[in-house]
Amino acid sequence: MSAEGTTDYREGARRGLASESLQKNLKNLQNRYGRGALEHWASLAGADPRERVKHKRMQTLENLDVVLAALIEKIEARGGQVYCAETAEEAAAYCLELARRHGVKRVVKGKSMVSMEIGVDALLQEEGIEVVETDLGEYIVQLREEPPSHILGPCVHLNRQQIGSLFAEKLDIAYTDDPPTLTRAARKALRQKLLHADMGITGCNLACAETGEISLVSNEGNIRMATTLPRINVALMGIERIVATMEDHRDLLQLLTRAGALQKISTYVSFAGGPSPAGDPDGPAEFHLVLVDNGRSKILADPQFREILACIRCGGCLNICPVYGRIGGHAYNAFYSGPVGAVLTPLLYGINEHADLCKGESLCGACLDVCPVNNDLPRMLLALRKKLAYGDPDWQVHAHKPFEAKTFRAWRRLISSGPLYRLVLRLLAVLQGPFIAKNGMITKLPGPAGAWTKDRDLPPLARKSFRTRWQERRKAGQGRNDAEVRND
Amino acid sequence: MTEHNPFMSRIRTALGHSAVQAGGVERCSALFRTTDSVEILERIESRSQESRRELLQQFRENAALLNLNVHAAAGFSAAGEIIAGIIQNSEPEFGSDRQVIQHDHPDIAALALSTRLGDGVVLHTTGTADRDLREKTIASFVGLTAPFWGVADSATVVQITMPGQPRSTSLVPAVHIALLRLENLLADLTELYAVLRRDPPASSYVFISGPSKTADIESKLVHGAHGPREMHAVVVGLER
Repeated sequence: MSAEGTTDYREGARRGLASESLQKNLKNLQNRYGRGALEHWASLAGADPRERVKHKRMQTLENLDVVLAALIEKIEARGGQVYCAETAEEAAAYCLELARRHGVKRVVKGKSMVSMEIGVDALLQEEGIEVVETDLGEYIVQLREEPPSHILGPCVHLNRQQIGSLFAEKLDIAYTDDPPTLTRAARKALRQKLLHADMGITGCNLACAETGEISLVSNEGNIRMATTLPRINVALMGIERIVATMEDHRDLLQLLTRAGALQKISTYVSFAGGPSPAGDPDGPAEFHLVLVDNGRSKILADPQFREILACIRCGGCLNICPVYGRIGGHAYNAFYSGPVGAVLTPLLYGINEHADLCKGESLCGACLDVCPVNNDLPRMLLALRKKLAYGDPDWQVHAHKPFEAKTFRAWRRLISSGPLYRLVLRLLAVLQGPFIAKNGMITKLPGPAGAWTKDRDLPPLARKSFRTRWQERRKAGQGRNDAEVRND
Repeated sequence: MTEHNPFMSRIRTALGHSAVQAGGVERCSALFRTTDSVEILERIESRSQESRRELLQQFRENAALLNLNVHAAAGFSAAGEIIAGIIQNSEPEFGSDRQVIQHDHPDIAALALSTRLGDGVVLHTTGTADRDLREKTIASFVGLTAPFWGVADSATVVQITMPGQPRSTSLVPAVHIALLRLENLLADLTELYAVLRRDPPASSYVFISGPSKTADIESKLVHGAHGPREMHAVVVGLER
């Protein structure tokens, strides 16, 4: 990654913009889900629950230690095992150790962002364990050996022809680009994997402290399969994905499925808080909950950014963001993309390392409008930009572009200097001559200034400044009164 | 619990709470307070047959949006006829065996399906002592369950895992038929959460709202991603 990720982000954005399937699919997705969610919130008017729910969400985060302790106690009492992982490495190592202990040969996964965050797949695969994603979209990107590009629709960047060719090659079926036929082919292949898996790894949408359960939503049923058929279950949970009571769960669940997929409720919402009782023909015999910190307690401690932990990963902001909608998820070079990723990725993986993300977003505010928990992402994007501009030892941020900062400081001195400023303007007005194109605009500048004219034209400086013209008119109009000058 | 101490204390430090406050019960009493649901429960208890029929109508309308087929039956005999008809008109998806698996539940027993289905259909019941249950479930193309609650507003049924009523029955077979009592039909999720709070399930449970689906390929809706591709709810209890 050169120059703090700049090349990757620009290159990724360029690739996204050039991809016809990505442009078409994201446009459809945003027109339907993004707009649909905004229309839904608007239709609620005075009955919009988001502010109330957000208040409770922040209150829960403020007492995260207590709600987590309640959850752990109840799950352990039911015979479930809870492991608290400070880092991604610890969480992944726990899964590996568990798999080793039970001689696991195949792991089936339900879609989990945290599983990607901790890099558990690669670790298990190095051990010779087969790891199979079971969500259709995740399965498709896994077969293509690329990361997902959307939280809810992992293969939104692909068209049916690409998926058809992929399945023809990998699943050994005749080529077809018919979505129902492709889905049936994946159903058949994955059913065999699911029926003969030793371990199921899922995420956790919302845990509930009061009942000591985790809950998972899905439309496909893959998550139910992955938690019902294998004899070992592992649920990976970011420490913030918890509510205090079932009443909170009820409210947040509906906001989640509305904002993410315009559904009153997803097809399946499953609740579990321990292993299956004896005599139950279904799994799991062992239930493990892995609580993952991995930088979250640091975010929790910063009042500026605590709010990002209220996020429930509905993907709603991806469905409305004009930047994400053009460049796609892969440009973000991270597991979390879109506006939420532009805030979360730098906080988890380094603000300097991911400097482009917060600068690439447009601050239009659509993500805030659509967010089911009113997360003020634009505010947090600005806070990140400020850290990049001035540096921040608490977050180990060094000033992002010292040259840019120096340039602006020099510019400040120049424009407040008067005579020097006017001299420079006159000089530039002459120097710009060779750069003015036939359309009367500056279309190409040399050196670093070329970045500006690469995608747009720059209007040239006026040959005579307003100030000079004003003075000339004042002189010419001597004897007339001020009002006449003003009307001139 | 004690082995989680360093982890928890880091979170406490991040929040600025001291170890003395660790128990935090007073700090959190507001957090765990919930709205009184007595009124909601009374409304459910005193619901008239007439308003239950209205709920059924809402359930039916919302189910149609999810491709969940709703059938109404006066009593168990009529429900048994409907269910036998669905089974006879369905084709196995994985293989050619015409096997059906049903939950060990008194309402399902009252359907007397074994006498209604012809010789061509093998009927299994989910007994707790049956070691071959998993194989039977995988071999079955129809799974029949009797979920306790139904929710009209979201077209949801609630399947609570119990001895003799495992979760795979509503999941692994290609067709899921849910037998539901009209008197257990609730208006909305608010009512459902109120009854779940009153009678907390002892084991795992699942809300099911229609057949399995996906829209991962070009946002095109396809039923039968992993769970059942087809779902029916048979609501019994229209007499009286």
